Amino acid sequence: MGNCCSDVAGGRAAVGGTAASHHDPASGTAANDAVDLFLKYRGYNGLFTQIELSLSASNLRDMDVLSKSDPIAVVYTKGKDGKLEELGRTEVVLNSLNPAWITKLSITYHFEVVQNLVFYVYDVDTQFQSIPVKTLKLEEQQLIGEASCTLSEIVTKPTHSLTLSLMNRKESSKSNRSSHLGDLTIHAEECIGSKILTEVILRCSDLEYKDLFSRSDPFLVISKIVESGNPIPVCKTEVKKNDLNPKWNSIFLSIQQVGSKDNPLLIECFNFNSNGRHDLLGKVQKSLAELEKLQYNKQGECLFLPTVVGNNYQNKVLKSQLFVEKFSESIHRTFLDYIAGGCELNFMVAIDFTASNGNPRLPDSLHYIDPSGRPNAYQRAILEVGEVLQFYDSDKKFPAWGFGARPIDGPVSHCFNLNGSNYQPEVEGIQGIMMAYTSALYNVSLAGPTLFGPVINNAAVIASQAVATSQQKYFVLLIITDGVITDLQETKDALVKASDLPLSILIVGVGGADFKEMEVLDADKGDRLENYAGRVATRDIVQFVPFRDVQSGEISIVQSLLAELPTQFLTYMWTREAHLDS
Amino acid sequence: MKTLSRSIEITIISAEDLRIHGRPIKNNAFVAVQTASDATRSTSVDTTGGNYPSWNEMLELPLPREAQFVRVEVQCRTSSGTKAVAGAHVPVSDFAGGWIPDGYLTFLSYRLRKLNGERNGIINLSIRVKGKGDVASSMDGTYFSSSSSSSCGGGGGGGGVAIGVPVMWGKESRIN
Repeated sequence: MGNCCSDVAGGRAAVGGTAASHHDPASGTAANDAVDLFLKYRGYNGLFTQIELSLSASNLRDMDVLSKSDPIAVVYTKGKDGKLEELGRTEVVLNSLNPAWITKLSITYHFEVVQNLVFYVYDVDTQFQSIPVKTLKLEEQQLIGEASCTLSEIVTKPTHSLTLSLMNRKESSKSNRSSHLGDLTIHAEECIGSKILTEVILRCSDLEYKDLFSRSDPFLVISKIVESGNPIPVCKTEVKKNDLNPKWNSIFLSIQQVGSKDNPLLIECFNFNSNGRHDLLGKVQKSLAELEKLQYNKQGECLFLPTVVGNNYQNKVLKSQLFVEKFSESIHRTFLDYIAGGCELNFMVAIDFTASNGNPRLPDSLHYIDPSGRPNAYQRAILEVGEVLQFYDSDKKFPAWGFGARPIDGPVSHCFNLNGSNYQPEVEGIQGIMMAYTSALYNVSLAGPTLFGPVINNAAVIASQAVATSQQKYFVLLIITDGVITDLQETKDALVKASDLPLSILIVGVGGADFKEMEVLDADKGDRLENYAGRVATRDIVQFVPFRDVQSGEISIVQSLLAELPTQFLTYMWTREAHLDS
Repeated sequence: MKTLSRSIEITIISAEDLRIHGRPIKNNAFVAVQTASDATRSTSVDTTGGNYPSWNEMLELPLPREAQFVRVEVQCRTSSGTKAVAGAHVPVSDFAGGWIPDGYLTFLSYRLRKLNGERNGIINLSIRVKGKGDVASSMDGTYFSSSSSSSCGGGGGGGGVAIGVPVMWGKESRIN
């Protein structure tokens, strides 16, 4: 998103690892755009966790005459196009109407996607019970019932369990009576590997001189080696200036990022060059387990450098050594732990009603409501973000505002309630947002200018009230705008003030405007924001992305925004906990 | 009438991009914090961070009722004594009063300025108020004053406090 070439300051900062700014919450390490894009291109996206589903059922309807049913459960994931893809199936439990299946099914939890699951429970005929479960032809079995839900519905329950009633669509259409087919309970468990966070401090000695008149500026890149052979970068350290015996800050790695403790990792030491062409000073290949041994034995490992000898590469062993100063594993509360513990993500939305959108009644306006039902850009952005976030909000009441318009009989308002109320801004559910939006469109006159300050301050008030009453809530404000803001300093002031609150702001730019100026709000691309009084933003709470149409199959750009939300949330939570413990 | 005493626990986390005479400082920076003319504490010296030092050190200081700022100054221990590098004023309203509940841990960062007012890096810290007592200056319980978001300095719930950039800071004495 935005600039592809990394600025020098951004290039020097450490990037990657899990919540790398863990102990230094306010240092605002600028992400390196180039590495970021590279990681995304390779499919390495955001926070994802391995979940195991265990299934059990109760009060299943008896299908057999002489004995009880022999049930099996099959799980499918349902794609956006409605196509079902089998995730896995359990074993067959003989002769039971209350089976607790032992087979666990693995699924990867992606925060930013709505993952639809469909469950079918069949009664397996006696003649098929001796053949392996995988080869069972399901269409030859008797369907007891089906149920469906989303993965977020299961993991947001405090018990991580969801019970659904089985239904049979074909039968219910024939008879009017609803016959009880049974209940299916799904329990989700996060794999223990996800919770372990490894902190590593690395040091090198006797690095070689690469620059002519000064010492090298070394930094490390840690990559994981996959089957295809190409290493995938996992994280990089900050750049140490002018140092041949550098010791870098802590690197935090999770098992997910590296695969497993025994997976080989490629650790490369580069000399930083501002032209982007960094020289390789040496490399070494070690797994996390081997790094742990190095630390325990207080040994160093020699780096080697592939050098050209004739037509081949030979690995020249260098004098430079790598030491592991610290290796410690800790169990951290994961994102799902916080959610299960009662933490909520509250969704808020603010919509741009400035005149630059065009007359809503004309088809070329960004606010045009298509009678055929095709959603406009604003509606699509609300749906994409809202559909994911709604599961994490228990009362599904979302504050919805508009800005830059003149409500009937009033002056221009830069933060008015979409529901038309004078007292409270909340609407019910995503449908509520849509209805309030369409009705507001015909009840206000679009005006201007585009100001974010009032909306951000309002969201910050709500977040601060939750903090003041010790509620475990994290707020996500979605601002959809078609233009560039005119109150840059005021917006910065509001953002600095809100930077220590449990709040993340996603700004989506729709339409064809040039959003270059907006990128200054996203600290990833520049300096930390500063207000008029000299206070600097504690953390980067803004993410900005221009809305683009996606071709089918591509990851939506808004989804990639959402993918970073769990990390922002965790950084906020962990830094508070770290300081409370110390 | 017993006066209630309040104190602050201020954790100096780190500082960024410190310079003396335009050049990055080498080492041995430390931070002095002052809440009243007789209440000053300092961190230990950072020997490895260069011009991006980190301390992660907690200091406890009393906070008088009438205090409106906490002064934070980065100094450098040189062979000839200590040299002031840059400083910042942390308004009490940024970490106490208003919507901030008692005992809440606030993470803050400030632009550091040299004695002559020039910008010189950023300091990162966290503050928590301990003990009970009223906050000085007219603080209301709202997040920000109900006036519209104007850009005049000193707005935002500070009551009568003006916050601005000192032009000639050299007049004030260095924290000893």
